[in-house]
Amino acid sequence: MLVIVVENVPPRLRGRLAVWLLEVRAGVYVGHVSRRIREMIWETVEKGIEDGNAVMAWSTNTESGFDFLTLGQNRRVPVEMDGIKLVSFVPEGDQGNATDIA
Amino acid sequence: MTEPILPPLKPIPIKDRVSVVFLEKGNLDVLDGAFVVVDKDGVRTHIPVGGVACLMLEPGTRVSHAAVTLASRVGCLLVWIGEAGVRLYASGQPGGARSDRLLYQAKLALDDEARLKIVRKMYEMRFKEKPPERRSVEQLRGIEGVRVRKMYELLARQYGVTWKARNYDYEEWGSGDMPNRCLSSATACLYGICEAAILAAGYAPAVGFLHTGKPQSFVYDIADIFKFDSVVPVAFRIAAKNPRQPEREVRLACRDAFRQTRLLHRIIPTIEETLAAGGIERPKAPEEAVPIAIPNKEGIGDAGHRG
Repeated sequence: MLVIVVENVPPRLRGRLAVWLLEVRAGVYVGHVSRRIREMIWETVEKGIEDGNAVMAWSTNTESGFDFLTLGQNRRVPVEMDGIKLVSFVPEGDQGNATDIA
Repeated sequence: MTEPILPPLKPIPIKDRVSVVFLEKGNLDVLDGAFVVVDKDGVRTHIPVGGVACLMLEPGTRVSHAAVTLASRVGCLLVWIGEAGVRLYASGQPGGARSDRLLYQAKLALDDEARLKIVRKMYEMRFKEKPPERRSVEQLRGIEGVRVRKMYELLARQYGVTWKARNYDYEEWGSGDMPNRCLSSATACLYGICEAAILAAGYAPAVGFLHTGKPQSFVYDIADIFKFDSVVPVAFRIAAKNPRQPEREVRLACRDAFRQTRLLHRIIPTIEETLAAGGIERPKAPEEAVPIAIPNKEGIGDAGHRG
């Protein structure tokens, strides 16, 4: 299972994502793809993201059963707590850099 | 009174959870019904508390009343630990929710014959072979002690770690050598989830069979069954690397070990299996007791979970 959520990205990227995945809500894409395809899709997101932000979550063999990556500025920042990945919500005006922590 | 919009909160089974989450600093509180840690800069981090077997609270955390209420409602054990895993106190998930199980456990512990059978079963599960016949609990404990020391030595040699003995000053962290420190850290993780499982299954952590006289006697009994095929090799492997943050490394490795051995899936069945070895029926409620007026609701959690 793969879920991608994008915010504030150019329409061309949203159109491209809809080529492989199902857009179930505005900017929310769902699908089930292999690891290679997932990496290819994430590369596409990296290339086309511009000033927007994105998160991609997929099921995998971690203890929580999934993993996720983020890109761009967002008030929600991934944090790692001794092997469990959680999300911190940064107060307004103090925007964290939502790049991946791994 | 208006009907609540959302259905009431219920605990989920231990086997469907993540093993442990460690919290180092911040205020634990409830915001919009979710469990959050708020740090000094106002950064909020949600903890999916209903999906965690136990929360390890390190020095530097403060917990609100609402947070403890929520944790207990979803059956998450809160464990207050000292610096890097030396346990201080545990609570948050009220134990002893099932009188039938408590009485069953107590009956087994009080019956010399049943207790011996259970201790023999624990020995068998631990060393994968039957203990010698006609030995008392005392003698079995002696044999076990010798075997355990041997296993420590063997594993230490296997991972190339200098090993003297299992010794540590429980009052002062950092007093032990590296392997001992790693071992303390690793066993703390194991004890946490064992206690959560014992409570979730409806038993009392204090009523032990091999161990006795401690609030966590039964926790040590159960943890010992798993200790040498999960956390001890992990601790020695990490100790051999001589890392700069041994506690963190140990926790990461323990998490992997718990996942790979499917510990959370096995732990409650193991508790049941050990107790069943006692060969005593679960006690029925006496006839003259007042029956329940309001029938219990069907829960999706384990037997010992309330709610």
